[in-house]
Amino acid sequence: MGSSGDNNDGLAFQSGGQSVVNCQSSGMGGNPFFASAWDPVVSISQHENFGGSSMLSQSELTNSPYPVVMENQGISTTSHLVHYQSGSSYVELVPKFPSYGSGSFSEMVSSFGLNECGQIANTGCHPNYTTNKEANIERTIANSAESQEDHQLTEEPITGASPDGKKRKRVGESNSSYDPNKNAEGERLKDPSGHSSDVQKEQDEKKPRTEQNSGANLRGKQSAKQAKNNSHSGEAPNENYIHVRARRGQATNSHSLAERVRREKISERMRLLQELVPGCNKITGKAVMLDEIINYVQSLQQQVEFLSMKLATVNPELSNDIEKILSKDILHPRGSNAALMGFVPGMNAHPYSHGIFPASIPVISNANPQFPSVPHTTLDNDLQSLFPNGI
Amino acid sequence: MNPDHHSSLNPSSSLKSRFTKTFLRSLIKINKQRPFPYCPREIFQRCHRVKTAADKSLARAAGSRRVWSRAMLCKIRNRSLRRGCQQRPSVRRIIIGYQTTKKGYCLQKKMSDDQEVGTDQASKLRKLVPGGEAMDLCSLLDEAAHYIKCLNTQVQVMRRIADIHSS
Repeated sequence: MGSSGDNNDGLAFQSGGQSVVNCQSSGMGGNPFFASAWDPVVSISQHENFGGSSMLSQSELTNSPYPVVMENQGISTTSHLVHYQSGSSYVELVPKFPSYGSGSFSEMVSSFGLNECGQIANTGCHPNYTTNKEANIERTIANSAESQEDHQLTEEPITGASPDGKKRKRVGESNSSYDPNKNAEGERLKDPSGHSSDVQKEQDEKKPRTEQNSGANLRGKQSAKQAKNNSHSGEAPNENYIHVRARRGQATNSHSLAERVRREKISERMRLLQELVPGCNKITGKAVMLDEIINYVQSLQQQVEFLSMKLATVNPELSNDIEKILSKDILHPRGSNAALMGFVPGMNAHPYSHGIFPASIPVISNANPQFPSVPHTTLDNDLQSLFPNGI
Repeated sequence: MNPDHHSSLNPSSSLKSRFTKTFLRSLIKINKQRPFPYCPREIFQRCHRVKTAADKSLARAAGSRRVWSRAMLCKIRNRSLRRGCQQRPSVRRIIIGYQTTKKGYCLQKKMSDDQEVGTDQASKLRKLVPGGEAMDLCSLLDEAAHYIKCLNTQVQVMRRIADIHSS
């Protein structure tokens, strides 16, 4: 996925020859001018920010819809790209050129002929969505040409040519700004058919999610700009809203969906753990919760060590009969013992909440039934009781 | 409470009973093997044996479906093999191979998970939970939850036994 998505960046980034090869393999048919029209515009505008070569800007532009690729390339320019969200149309259209004008693109790459295309760019710049139609045409051309690349532009759901369900998802999700209607179609087409991908599990989870998302996103995502989690929300088609691309470090939408699912799983597990670990009801936040969990596990392990030390020093009066009696007693504690057992969890909580106790301090408090209710004094008493026990 | 009802109530109670039985049996065995320890070294040895027995019986009671129980059993087996001094090298290699392949496979996923939560904490948790090195965060949390449950049971039972013996 990343490697195939890298084709875009490979064009911009790596050796020109390599990019040319990639371009040629993809096949052309689109409008080289159209494709290249955007390129100089954005590169010009981005020159100020990056001060890099136009190739760099191109790559960064291509990166905007492909945060995964961005990560691979190690470019951290999304922050800059945020500025261009309003002009998302050309930002998104930019990645198309690799598939189309390979010849012209190679020229672009090699010569950075901004001046030549500048005029063309100006003319083609303004209509954000009217160009979508042309974009769609090009997309259909691209679809036939490129069936392998995990490409944003290949809007396979429309043509139904995609063999890769995973790709389809990306197309649907990331093409949000191109054409709302088509995107919706894409998503709908995606849902029943996306089965063939490598990550089937992700897909199965993503399928219902895309449905939800398309529904939810259609209601409008003005806040999408701010929320990192809403990177997937950009997938929904809606002409009235500015579509926000994934922020820095975010994967493409299919990835972000999977991440979102993962995150929810993790938070669900954290909730379960919260119930297990005593005294963690008020804690919100993964970091603090994890700290508590770590402390608790450590304290439990220390308790086990200490108990095994105690058991080792106990006089061996065991026999098989006693074992049976003992097991019955342990598993079905009688009344008096039950009180102790009930007391134990309370005692457990106290030493734990006070922090990790060194193993030498006996956490066992019910060895001293005389002091059932005072945690602190029982500790001292337990120490005293431990020594007569056998050490 | 009749035993049948008790054990069928919830899985943790049967875990408890399984652990109790196994642990008591191994305790008896340990006590029979050596005389009562008088010097600290013997006490320490015994303590270590008791602890190993407790861990082993806990892992067995937890079942082999859990990663941590399998990892714990592997660790114990490795330790005993090492002490046994190359008695069955092939077995050891197999065990180690199993662990390393799992680790290698899961490491890639691990990298991406590190961004999520604090890396230090995740790595600490990995060290605490047996077999946690080769798991992604999601399953690590899952295993940790089960491990905590079992540890609780273990502590309860051991405390009870110690209590009975001391009183």
